[in-house]
Amino acid sequence: MTPAERRYMSSDELRAVGSVAWRKDGVAKVTGAEQYAPDIALSRMWYARVLRSPHAHARITRIDTSVAEALGAVCLTFADIPKVKYNERIVSTPPHLYRDRYVLADKARHVGEAVAAVAAPTEALAEKALRAIKVDYEPLQTILNAEDSMRSGAEPIHASVRLGDAEIPIENNVAVTRSIQVGDIDKGFAESEFVIEREFTTHPIYHAQMETKSVVCRPEPDEAITVWATAQSIHNVRQLLGEIYSIPLHKVNVRRVALGGTFGSSIQVNSVIPICVGLALRALRPVKLVSTREEDMYDHVRYPTNIRLRLGLKRDGTLVAGHMRAIVDIGAHNIQAFPFLGVLAGFWASLYRLPHMKYEGRAVYTNRTPSCAMQGFGAPQVTFAVESLMDEIAHELGMDPIDLKLKNYVGLGGTFWGHGPTVQSIVRSDGVPELVGLGAKKIGWKERPRPGSQTGRYRRGIGMARGFHTSGVGHPKATGAEMIDYSGAFVKINEDGSVDVVQSLMDHGGGTLEAIAKIVADELGVPLEKVGLSPVDTRTTVYDVTTHATRGVYAGGAAAQKAARKAKAILLDYASRLLGVLPEALVIEPDVRLGQGVIHCPSLADRRITVGAVAKACQVNSWGTIAAVESLRQVNCPPAYVTYFVEVEVDTDTGNVRTRRAAIGSDCGTVVNPDLAAGQLTGGLSKGAGYALIEDCRWDAQTGELLSRGFWIDGKTPSVSESPLLEDVHTDFAKTYEPSGPFGAKGLGEASTNPCAGAYANALYNALGVRFYELPVTPEKILAALQRKEPAYDARDERRTAVAPAR
Amino acid sequence: MYIATNTHILVAEFDYVEPTTLEEVFWHLSEHGPQARLIAGGTDLLVQMKMERKNPACLISLARVLELQGMTSNSGLTVGATASIRSLARSEPIGRHYTALAEACNAFSTIPIMVMATLGGNLCNASPAADTAPPLLAFDASVALVSRAGQRVVPLEDFFLGPGQTALRHDEVLRSVHLAESVRGAGSAFVKVARVAADISQVCAAVRVVRDGDHVIDCRIALGAVAPTPVRAHRAEAFLTGQRPDRGRVDDAARIAGEDTKPITDVRATQEYRRHASRVIVRDALTTAWLRAGGRELK
Ligand SMILES: Cc1cc2nc3c(=O)[nH]c(=O)nc-3n(C[C@H](O)[C@H](O)[C@H](O)COP(=O)(O)OP(=O)(O)OC[C@H]3O[C@@H](n4cnc5c(N)ncnc54)[C@H](O)[C@@H]3O)c2cc1C
Repeated sequence: MTPAERRYMSSDELRAVGSVAWRKDGVAKVTGAEQYAPDIALSRMWYARVLRSPHAHARITRIDTSVAEALGAVCLTFADIPKVKYNERIVSTPPHLYRDRYVLADKARHVGEAVAAVAAPTEALAEKALRAIKVDYEPLQTILNAEDSMRSGAEPIHASVRLGDAEIPIENNVAVTRSIQVGDIDKGFAESEFVIEREFTTHPIYHAQMETKSVVCRPEPDEAITVWATAQSIHNVRQLLGEIYSIPLHKVNVRRVALGGTFGSSIQVNSVIPICVGLALRALRPVKLVSTREEDMYDHVRYPTNIRLRLGLKRDGTLVAGHMRAIVDIGAHNIQAFPFLGVLAGFWASLYRLPHMKYEGRAVYTNRTPSCAMQGFGAPQVTFAVESLMDEIAHELGMDPIDLKLKNYVGLGGTFWGHGPTVQSIVRSDGVPELVGLGAKKIGWKERPRPGSQTGRYRRGIGMARGFHTSGVGHPKATGAEMIDYSGAFVKINEDGSVDVVQSLMDHGGGTLEAIAKIVADELGVPLEKVGLSPVDTRTTVYDVTTHATRGVYAGGAAAQKAARKAKAILLDYASRLLGVLPEALVIEPDVRLGQGVIHCPSLADRRITVGAVAKACQVNSWGTIAAVESLRQVNCPPAYVTYFVEVEVDTDTGNVRTRRAAIGSDCGTVVNPDLAAGQLTGGLSKGAGYALIEDCRWDAQTGELLSRGFWIDGKTPSVSESPLLEDVHTDFAKTYEPSGPFGAKGLGEASTNPCAGAYANALYNALGVRFYELPVTPEKILAALQRKEPAYDARDERRTAVAPAR
Repeated sequence: MYIATNTHILVAEFDYVEPTTLEEVFWHLSEHGPQARLIAGGTDLLVQMKMERKNPACLISLARVLELQGMTSNSGLTVGATASIRSLARSEPIGRHYTALAEACNAFSTIPIMVMATLGGNLCNASPAADTAPPLLAFDASVALVSRAGQRVVPLEDFFLGPGQTALRHDEVLRSVHLAESVRGAGSAFVKVARVAADISQVCAAVRVVRDGDHVIDCRIALGAVAPTPVRAHRAEAFLTGQRPDRGRVDDAARIAGEDTKPITDVRATQEYRRHASRVIVRDALTTAWLRAGGRELK
């Protein structure tokens, strides 16, 4: 990188932060040298396969593994595993952690549930052995939707689950409920002059991350295990394995490998990990388990929701009261239903000020693929509902939706609920008005058509939605948290002035670790090239909760900054000995010519020394290594705001929707990786468009099988062909500075998709004059809606032009 | 289907041979009997084998057989069976004289698939949704089927018998596809509707019209994914032939074509949607083909 390639932030001290640089893992990634979990190959290694239930709901009465064993395979069944009920998502604190599953199932609760597993010298033999296992099932009533599941007399999916040290009964298949109240909604609705209520349905979709969930486990001679796994937190993998298999934590070493994308799919400790460990411990040799795409699809989907939302306002558009009732189908296991119900309320409360609100959420078990977090964790669902309804209200009240939203939104000084009712902080940076203004201008908001005014075949519409994601789940309270949230880092200055950052933080691929390197470089005052990201494992790092909740840069970066700051203090202390100047009088700046950080005293020009020379002097004089380790918990959860404007073109004859243009604005505070940040936004658009218009997971009502049966050729996600041209996607960043973030940065990742579905729904309304309350909005639904609205709707309409415009 | 069926592990064990001449192909076919299968690009067959729908004991690759390659023009155009979809999409003569076929090949999923997939494989796989079939039907294509006993030429319309079923006998190889000579005043178009670009058609249609002045003097309309095989819309063709097309006539022809479809509901689309969309795309394809034939803007 040449100095000219660097783009500096407005502030002079910031050098690496905000620059466009080669990624440190870039060459490894584009040359294929990068190691992901499925790339790990060890000597004496065997291969595992998992036998999964063909029944959606069945008792398992007998498992016969004798033929498989005769083939030379090692087998694992319920009889062989520790009888520890666990929850794979161990970031909820113990009083809120609902544990309902074993390493292998005691009963089949969904098609694809792991029932037994085998390991064999080759994957082909493992497959053969797998098919030789005989399982007797006693099928039970299959329940595929929440309504049926709650009906009295419905077959219980879990009789009881563990919470803390107690076994608690499950009634009517309701896993957990939450009610939250602020003010008095009866009073609020009584004071309202305009009340509207709508029901919104959002659907489950598959994450479609590139890397399927994989794991390699090697038992060590000292009864320790080493694990390489697809994971968003290596420390949680370690702790859960220690708990399930009663192995002391110093003997569970989980190594970080690159992640092939996640979209949240590995936010929990994947259920294949303890299965693989169980096999390795039995086989007493390394075992590798790579999920097939099909079993991966049977492993997790985004939470589907049914949201009834009632809002009351004054005639002038001031929101007064709101009532939300949410039913969430969590599928066969409770992975994080309690926090999910909390964030539905919290994200709702944080979109617009509601003096009086009431929220009632219910999470219900069914025999479907378990629901788990996916990019946005509740925000895409709630934002679709709220932003659709706000748009509708604006039209009813004769207001511009933007005015209605700016009048009511939670901004500077407001209370933001980062993660349900217990994670709250005050908003200290707010780029919303700036972003709304920019987006409106770029998309031509004022020139948008009047809803329903068009009659031709191709109709265009512009829609706007806004939202956010939280940056981490930090908050000020000392105890009583529902969620764990802290990071740690170890920063070491080497004898030549280069720096090792040793941190267990994960990078999903979006450049989180790249940001860490920039933050450390700038905190220390050394060139970015001199900062290295160490390969790490759980034995050599301090805890990091997970790269989730859009916290990587904001919380992980702040921890790295704290450690770097401490190392810097030690460095300056030593430098002061060498220079004969008080440490307070010294500064460090990168020197591009020397390729080094240079320590100097602005008041005494002759007192200069490189970081490398100080570190070397420390070694030569046996003063010690310059290093620091720190943990950090953020005490705020600043909103990473995002605004979306999309322009669609609907072919009213085929129902197809094309995205013509988009203007996406992000308020992520200081932009640490400008190119990668813009990439997050365009990616968020693609992922959001797939959610809004195309993707869906459906199950066969009789068998409980996915209609796609897990085959990717039948499940589709948009590719670059569905995206507008890059020059038609405007990405803008607000000029904000978050006081609590590292160099003013907050989050970005999940926010980039959250308002997308709402923007599409509003754009479709603008184009067609029809509201869509159910996702995805498929061509079939669009044609059906048009037929209802325009009964004379006929492909023969004279005003239509039959020639499609050029793409 | 077994629950463990997956696209990660190809469970079946099989032999694999790569002959270089047709004679060797015939030898392998007779040697292995019905347990043998020809493989060209493998983009259908390997998927079916992974999904455990097909389980051949021997795969006979056609990739190195010279007699199946190449393209020659001789009162029309003869295309070798193993020509890749990508080569057809980029061929200048096909783009000019057989525009609908070029459009179908360009709309064919993603580039990696286009590079591997062959024309012969697309036809012999006999999916109702095979994208090259409607344009080939519109160009009165015929296929040359060869065996030790010799060669027979079968009109493409008689080649498809049902989903996955063709007139091909077990000892035969599809050698080449012949497209009728293009005539003056002809124009063609292909339109595909799919959930995303990298997907099989929900429905597709190809049209070829031959114009004389303001009249349609010849017309072919063919549809994919609306019946057990790719089909011609004979009633709609007859309705337009000899007529002076206007918007109303084109709409009526499209309606007739739509009425004659027998689509099914599957993960890609509902029956109703397919029927509706076939009418729309036949109308669009007719309109575009007419303009390409030099016809005046329809009123
Ligand atoms: C991701 C993906 C996307 C796809 N998208 C499309 C699409 O958009 N449109 C579309 O139409 N199809 C699509 N397909 C299907 C497939 O790519 C095509 O049908 C392709 O043309 C098949 O050609 P192939 O050479 O790969 O056939 P193969 O798989 O090699 O063979 C298919 C069948 O034909 C037989 N066969 C092949 N050649 C001969 C011959 N010369 N003589 C006799 N029998 C023969 C084989 O025995 C086999 O039964 C897609 C497939 C995938 C995996």
